[in-house]
Amino acid sequence: MKISLNWLKEFVDIDMSQEELSHLLTMIGIEVASVMPVACDLDAIIAARILDIKPHPNADCLSLCTIDTGEKQIPVVCGAPNIKKGDIVPLALPGVRLPNGTKIKKGKIRGEVSEGVLLAEDELGLTDDHSGIMILPDASEPGMPITKIISLEDSVLDLELTPNRPDCASVIGIAREIAAATGKTLKRPEPEVNETGPNIEDLTSVTILEREACPRYTAGVVQHIKIGTSPFWMRYRLHLSGIRPVNNIVDVTNYVMLEMGQPLHAFDYDRLEENRIVVKFARQDESFTTLDGQTHNLDQNTLVICDAKQPVALAGIMGGLNSEIYEDTSNILIESAYFDPVIIRRASKRLGISTEASYRFERGADIEGTHIALKRALELISTLAGGSISKGIIDNYPKPYIARPVTLRIDRTNRILGSDLSRETIEGYLKGLNMDVERPDDQNTLVVTPPSFRVDISREADLFEEVARLEGYENIPITIPKIQPATKTDSQEISFGDHIRSVMRGAGFCEVITYSFISPASADMLDIPDSSPLRSFVKILNPLSLDQSVMRTNLIHGLLTVAESNIHRGAAGLKFFELGKVFFHREDNKQPIERMILTAIITGPYQEKTWYCQERMVDFYDIKGALEVFFEGVGIEDFSLAKTDTIPWFDTNISANVSSTGRVVGNIGRLKPDVVKAYNLKNKDFYAFEVDIEALLACIDKNKQFKPFPRFPAVYRDISILVPKGIESAAIVNIIKQHGKDLVESIRIFDLYEGEKIDKAEKAIAFRICYRSKKGTLDGEKINKLHETIIDIIRQETGGKLREG
Amino acid sequence: MKEQLLTLKNKALDELQKIKDVTDIESFKVAYLGKKGQLTALMKQIGKSPPDIRPEIGRLANTIKATISKAIEEKRSEIIASGAGKKEEIIDITLPGRKPLRGHVHPVNTVIREVCSIFSHMGFNVITGPDVELDYYNFEALNLPKDHPARDMQDTFYVSSNVVLRTHTSPIQVRVMEKTPPPVSIIAPGSVYRRDSDVSHTPMFHQVEGLLVDNDVTFGDLKGILTAFIHQMFGSGTKIRFRPSFFPFTEPSAEVDIQCVMCKGKGCRICSHTGWLEILGSGMVDPEVFRSVDYDTELYSGFAFGMGIERIAMLKYGIDDIQLFFKNDIMFLTQF
Ligand SMILES: [Zn+2]
Repeated sequence: MKISLNWLKEFVDIDMSQEELSHLLTMIGIEVASVMPVACDLDAIIAARILDIKPHPNADCLSLCTIDTGEKQIPVVCGAPNIKKGDIVPLALPGVRLPNGTKIKKGKIRGEVSEGVLLAEDELGLTDDHSGIMILPDASEPGMPITKIISLEDSVLDLELTPNRPDCASVIGIAREIAAATGKTLKRPEPEVNETGPNIEDLTSVTILEREACPRYTAGVVQHIKIGTSPFWMRYRLHLSGIRPVNNIVDVTNYVMLEMGQPLHAFDYDRLEENRIVVKFARQDESFTTLDGQTHNLDQNTLVICDAKQPVALAGIMGGLNSEIYEDTSNILIESAYFDPVIIRRASKRLGISTEASYRFERGADIEGTHIALKRALELISTLAGGSISKGIIDNYPKPYIARPVTLRIDRTNRILGSDLSRETIEGYLKGLNMDVERPDDQNTLVVTPPSFRVDISREADLFEEVARLEGYENIPITIPKIQPATKTDSQEISFGDHIRSVMRGAGFCEVITYSFISPASADMLDIPDSSPLRSFVKILNPLSLDQSVMRTNLIHGLLTVAESNIHRGAAGLKFFELGKVFFHREDNKQPIERMILTAIITGPYQEKTWYCQERMVDFYDIKGALEVFFEGVGIEDFSLAKTDTIPWFDTNISANVSSTGRVVGNIGRLKPDVVKAYNLKNKDFYAFEVDIEALLACIDKNKQFKPFPRFPAVYRDISILVPKGIESAAIVNIIKQHGKDLVESIRIFDLYEGEKIDKAEKAIAFRICYRSKKGTLDGEKINKLHETIIDIIRQETGGKLREG
Repeated sequence: MKEQLLTLKNKALDELQKIKDVTDIESFKVAYLGKKGQLTALMKQIGKSPPDIRPEIGRLANTIKATISKAIEEKRSEIIASGAGKKEEIIDITLPGRKPLRGHVHPVNTVIREVCSIFSHMGFNVITGPDVELDYYNFEALNLPKDHPARDMQDTFYVSSNVVLRTHTSPIQVRVMEKTPPPVSIIAPGSVYRRDSDVSHTPMFHQVEGLLVDNDVTFGDLKGILTAFIHQMFGSGTKIRFRPSFFPFTEPSAEVDIQCVMCKGKGCRICSHTGWLEILGSGMVDPEVFRSVDYDTELYSGFAFGMGIERIAMLKYGIDDIQLFFKNDIMFLTQF
């Protein structure tokens, strides 16, 4: 909310700098986002009198003026239609810079000399008005700076209001807070209304059919007014508050709303059927056109202001086109009412209309203040637009405000705040906030009745904040509480998550974070079959875009998207991982299933070429190695791969489930070329693994124990064997383990050869077996025998043959 | 004879001491112990000495030989160890080393970890909760009934009429309190979602929520714990201010500002010329929240706070664009 500092000063004395005022307001809970000085650069603009106006010889729309600057007479060419002989107007002489940056120069306009420029309000940076040259008061002396003639210098405070404080959404509201914080007196406006018209009862009536929705409706009538432009001072203040001036009547309603916080509405009295008001709910599907020309479809929960026949306004939101003030309006009815916040909010939400009025009503206006605001408006209208004000006002108040006292305990206040404030101090703070405070005999309590505009205060806790605010948060002493040591283990999602991240970082992977919502088209891009649970997306009802409209069921989509953007920015070798949640839809309005998974992808060269190593493209064994390092890092000692064709995005030839302790914990493989292509990444090899964190945790031995070193020496024997390519190394390893019994401690594959020197259908593979006994030193002869046996079995079972040399 | 042997020994050891090069050691060894070496020559004469002292001379000569041999080996090791012996090998120490591959953790997670660890050390338990949350936990139990204007503060993604993407990490508070009687001290990180996307907002971001409930927890305690946290996070000299604000689930509520890290309070673009930066929201738990979890509001009090992780990371690392966290450009990620 923007308010003028001068306006504020009408209601409270402010004898501090703007910085001090900003700090004061911010520290009592009204955040000052900025303070902007206005009209501070107009000292060089002087008042000048128009002595003579002649038509410009060469241009119909221009005139040639003779201007008295106070010092001399100069010629000025001007195009504005509104000036006349004798007017006092703002003048900028050559050399003067206008607020918009333009520098005035002496020059010729269509052949005629012009030694200055007459200015409109917008050129002075005062309002948006460019309808004509600004006319200054008659009494002004030519040559005087205009800032000496009219009060222009001001500052605009931009305030960030919290939704619980609608009472601060006005100049008086802010003045009230300043008064409370500084101990100054609030100067309340006391409107004086000269009632010269007929009795109000003879002019109109207000019928409230919904007393819960509209507990109070006050109204006044002014006859024989003259619609026109508001005076400069009012338009200037509205402009500074960000409200566009319209005409003197509408401007008054806006001005009073800004000043007092009470939204008002002016109806054209003669356009109201039977000149009367009825407050009721709309009919279902009733159509209504608001004054901005939009037509809305109403429902039975929309409160409307009607005349004898039809709706004329959406209560508390916006008036109707059918009762709007127009140029020839001469009689008006002013509404100042209170509406139920929830009713207004629902209607405003449903219709998608938010206005200055609805903002205030849905947060809570001051039900006890409607008549004062009405009187203030009537006072201003008669000053600005003339006319005669009806005798008396309509004040239909079917559900009067009931003040609700709150009991405040002094000891409790101090126990919550950690303060040591006396009853007197607290009482003083609350009274300063216009609260009515009674002192019961018990010494420990105060019975506090908040004013009607403090809709946020209904409980003791609400008063703690008021006390703390006025004491000043900075004055409440800092203490350190005793905290019981944490007895529960931390969330695995975080503690294990951190561990996973450090292992993956150690393995050379870079972590990414992508949005949890993705495009539903990702399912097709990843080749996910129709029946797959990976398609049971949690859908967002109101997504920002289709691309972010379903919750992800996998992380591979996000990682491929990140890879794509990096590759298109020129990156080559990528190793990315993401540790995050995936979501699976459940029926019946239930929360979805959330699972934490880890996905890693690699592509491109393993490492850039350096002085010590050649560039090499990644392959399956790089991703498998990463998985192995990951498993070792998190404490999984035993795992196996089994080929599968169930992972939609993997190449069926290079795709496996990963199991540990008999359960599947993840998968690994190469991305299908079609999937890669769907991500705009042609001819790139991508490898990935995915691990389900919950499944993984179940496989980790949480009871890790130290293993003593072996006591007896090991014996090493090698086997080098030629086998058909289809034979998996694991098959041979299993044979060795199975037949080597407990004497085989470990097996290392130390060589692999496929190439010209051997048959195309074969590969040569070499194992180094470490034999060791727990019981004693091994006998070389015995081991040789065992080794031979193992070799024989391998040959029989795999059809392999020993390789020479 | 004996004299000669001892003189030779001293001469040899002195000479050996001066040697600085492995090759010189070899020639030294030849000069004394070689077939035509000085000691060898002297030893050949032992046979000519009187028989009564011959064994003694022989023993002495052998001892001296052993002493010199040992000294030679020691000298050799010494020279090799000092590296001086390989003077012919020249290496370019400015060549880059053979680097093991190194990965990177996303700065958001680094900051989450840092924040959680500070609170862990104070005795807070790290807790998490679901991202897709019931309206009840996200709003209602936090004193944000339907049709409350404060719901406008957080534009919400809906999954169904009563299921939302959590707009803050505060629902975790309620879930914990529902299950655990006081005292409670938790810190809860996680992703949150708001229907808001522009230069300074992303529809998903991260928060850390904290809660302490016990007998007689005060607003002064809130100030104490958060001051301790900020001093650990941003340095012990960081100026802090607590100012009144509004959150539906706390009363009184406080916004916590730190002195602008960019301009040190002088006022700059980052702090909108106020000299202060909003860093977290906090307050004393509203009695309505305690009521929804059946805590006795007369017996217990507590404070809660929440902070945006991206914002903290931006201030900490001087990042001026929140979008960078989710673009995942390797030029960004590899800086952390
Ligand atoms: Zn700054």
